[in-house]
Amino acid sequence: MRPEHWLYTIPLRLRSLFRRTQADQELDDELRDHVERKTEEYVGKGLTPQEARRRAQLEMGGVEKRKEECRETRGVNWLQDLLQDLRYGLRMLRKSPGFATAAILTLALGIGPNTAIFTVIDAVLLRPLPYGNPQELVTWRGNESQLDIDDIRSQSTFFSAGGGVNPEVLTYTGGAEPLGIHAGYVDAGLFQALGVSPMLGRALSPEEDRFGGPRVVVLAYRFWREYLDSDPNIVGKTIGLDENRYTVIGVMPASFAVPQYDLDLFVSLRVVYAEAARYRGVHFMNTYWRLKPGITLSQAAVGMSTIDARLAADYPGEEKGRHTVPVPLQQSVTGDVRPALFVLSAAVWAVLLIACANFAGLLMARASARRREMVIRAALGGGRRRLIRQALTESTLLAVLGGAVALPLAALCVRILVAAKPAALAHLNEISMDPTVIVFGLVVSLLTGLIFGLAPAWSVSRADVTDTLKQEGRTATAGPAGHNFRKALVVVEIAVALVLLVGTGLLIKSFARLRTVDPGFDPAHVIAINVQLPNTRYAEIPKQIEFRRELLDRLNSLPRTQAAMVGDIPLNGSEVTHSLAFEGRPPVAEGDEPEVDTFCVMGDYFSVMRVALRAGRTLTPMDRENRPLVAVINEALARKFFAGQDPIGQRIRWARETGPPRWMTIVGVAADVKQYSLAEPAYPAVFTPFAQTNEAWRRWMSVVVRMPDSSASLIPAVKHQIWALDSLIPLNRVQSMDELLGLSLAERQFNMSLLGLFAGLAMILVAVGIYGVISYSVSQRTHEVGIRIAVGARRLDVLKLIMGQGARLAALGLTVGILGAFALTRLMTKLLFGVTPTDPVTFAAVVLLMMAVVLLACFVPARRAMRVDPMVALRYE
Amino acid sequence: MSKPSDLVQGTLDMLLLKILALEPMNGFAVSQRLKQVSGDVLQVSDGSLYPALHKLEQEGWITAEWKTSEKGRRAKYYSLTRLGRRQLEREADKWGRLSGAISRVVKLKEA
Repeated sequence: MRPEHWLYTIPLRLRSLFRRTQADQELDDELRDHVERKTEEYVGKGLTPQEARRRAQLEMGGVEKRKEECRETRGVNWLQDLLQDLRYGLRMLRKSPGFATAAILTLALGIGPNTAIFTVIDAVLLRPLPYGNPQELVTWRGNESQLDIDDIRSQSTFFSAGGGVNPEVLTYTGGAEPLGIHAGYVDAGLFQALGVSPMLGRALSPEEDRFGGPRVVVLAYRFWREYLDSDPNIVGKTIGLDENRYTVIGVMPASFAVPQYDLDLFVSLRVVYAEAARYRGVHFMNTYWRLKPGITLSQAAVGMSTIDARLAADYPGEEKGRHTVPVPLQQSVTGDVRPALFVLSAAVWAVLLIACANFAGLLMARASARRREMVIRAALGGGRRRLIRQALTESTLLAVLGGAVALPLAALCVRILVAAKPAALAHLNEISMDPTVIVFGLVVSLLTGLIFGLAPAWSVSRADVTDTLKQEGRTATAGPAGHNFRKALVVVEIAVALVLLVGTGLLIKSFARLRTVDPGFDPAHVIAINVQLPNTRYAEIPKQIEFRRELLDRLNSLPRTQAAMVGDIPLNGSEVTHSLAFEGRPPVAEGDEPEVDTFCVMGDYFSVMRVALRAGRTLTPMDRENRPLVAVINEALARKFFAGQDPIGQRIRWARETGPPRWMTIVGVAADVKQYSLAEPAYPAVFTPFAQTNEAWRRWMSVVVRMPDSSASLIPAVKHQIWALDSLIPLNRVQSMDELLGLSLAERQFNMSLLGLFAGLAMILVAVGIYGVISYSVSQRTHEVGIRIAVGARRLDVLKLIMGQGARLAALGLTVGILGAFALTRLMTKLLFGVTPTDPVTFAAVVLLMMAVVLLACFVPARRAMRVDPMVALRYE
Repeated sequence: MSKPSDLVQGTLDMLLLKILALEPMNGFAVSQRLKQVSGDVLQVSDGSLYPALHKLEQEGWITAEWKTSEKGRRAKYYSLTRLGRRQLEREADKWGRLSGAISRVVKLKEA
């Protein structure tokens, strides 16, 4: 457009925007003037003044409509309209706070939790791992020894890099107290494979990662920040670890973490623990590999099976039965949480769906209630597009308000989620709402407003003016067709809520089942302190035994306590496995021997933990060095390998030991103890005295102490006794067994509570939804009910009529829901324990609950209908 | 917006511009003049006149001002702007070519 043009039009447009009233007034004057002149003209032609005026007005054809048309020619109208609609919308909302609150809360409850769960899903499943080209990274379930890593690296043509890590506790001696820190024993290939460069200095180089190499350390960001005050000149300085000095060569960036572990620093396995690096027998390193560009996962799998076969042929004793299946690292990292997050996100979508359906229902009910208003506005000259736009503005306004309430709610939910922190999310300290997620929430709320606002607006705009005005007050029976749509929405809501409730019910039942599982020990008043004897001073077995014996003597002399030691405590998910051989049975091929869990104990472990003894005797202080070797087995082992025999007196040994066979005589059978989780069966296990082991690497243990009560008052005394023996031993983890038991249930409890929360939300929303539909129907049928009562219907009949309507909806919704639940609960099998996904009791209970909720939601409006006064009802319309 | 069905789209604008090109006048006078000059052939309802005038004003082709008429009554008088005059020329030119073409077609002798 030419500037000249703008010169003329801009002042006009500004005027119509800012001096609206004046412009409108002038328009009014102009049109009235016209009508007056016309009237005069007709009067001049001999018509009566009334007739003249009527003709003039007819020719103009509705002053208001013309005015609206003239206004529309003003270009800035949409902005004015928007402002006007917003003002009007806000006023309407203020005038019906009940409706507004219901709609906003409905949306907020749907969108808020959804955004929160999306945040977590985004952080856990969608966000790429913080490594270079993460899609090239693979890992596998089985661990490897350092020698295996070297072999795979040299034999594979499809990995560009690979390396391993094993978490170990080291003592950091730089602070006031000796501190146990988490070190990663790594090989240089790890940093190469993960493709992350240090923030300061450099990573471990292959030249340093060799037997007898220099003692160097790479620090994790948090350790550098918390213990070394973020010293920018740290590279080249030394820190004390386990009585050795290590030179810092690099600091990793804050975003770096080894998958699944929270480690403080990284040292070379070959340097720190050479004997382990030279030993093929124990596969203890988690490994990560980088595919060469262009290599697919299946190519790598084929390649690995060749290497597996070669290793098994070369080292049958250690490598038989290898079956390496490379999986993408992302999948492996998120694997454990995946089912739970999947179910949770399904639940969230369900709640969002219900919320949107409710919102739509509310809008439709309101649209029907305002039909008359809309029709009058149309009659007074409101254009159809204009009316739709106004209806949309109102619904969008509601949606935006809902979204505005939803976002803080979402932030709160994220905080709750992270605070509750199921173990599998433990590494996600830094979940925060990022802009994508906020945009996601806003888009969802806007779309909801637009889509569900459009339908009612459309139906109103199509309304025929005369028909509707004539119909008003004559709606004796069912309302407009929109009501059927609302009913359909409610049926869907009921069905979806039922599926959610069944899912929750199954989780609750699983949880209840799990709680009744006997862990095999009595956790009350027992604490466990993890102790790791530093390699430097306790390399020799006699030193270790001396320390252990002395410590137990000291602890058992404390009043009213009883202490013992075990290599790995129950429910901790860790253990040492050995292959087992039985005396007098035909030898088994190398690699095919049965694997069992092995635990070394000292003191009366079974009595401290109250593990029942099924046969024979427990281990005593007499079972010590230079005495006949003995072992206690658990029932699972007895069942599996001594079926129909008496295991007492039988002899077993570790199949892989070198040197002369060390036969151990089974002296007792103890009850099964849950070593991993309550949900998993106990595996065969062998308990042997610490005093009789020849495995010097068993330097870690947990001191278990049964206290007289649940107070923690004795814990300092226990710690004091340990430090009195060796002041340099770090003690960082003191756990009560009760805590540990709770922790093992925490994730399930978390899932259950969350799903329960959603199911509860869904139920409330459904109740509101059905209440809305029935209320509306009752208000539409007041007239009809009045007539019925007037002609002799009893109140009870009216109640039945209305409740019957609700019950029919419920029956339909529940039927659909039951079918849906049958189809869907199978997907959550992994989260269940001791319950089938189609547990009839759960289904029945949930159906009854839903039925009760629906009927209760119907009862309130039904009672209102029952109390209709026929006189009032008939006069009212 | 209601439009006279028998008026070619856009022609109303040209007619109004032409009428206002003769002298500034108010809406009522425009409607009278329109009827008068077209010999009642062009029936423009009062209803469609005003939106059309307002549109021309928004386009910047005509401008309006409140004046007191001969009978001492205030009325809104429209007059053509420079832009409007140019627009009228364009429209008239277009119309001339169009109507010439149509009449040539209509007058074709049947073989």
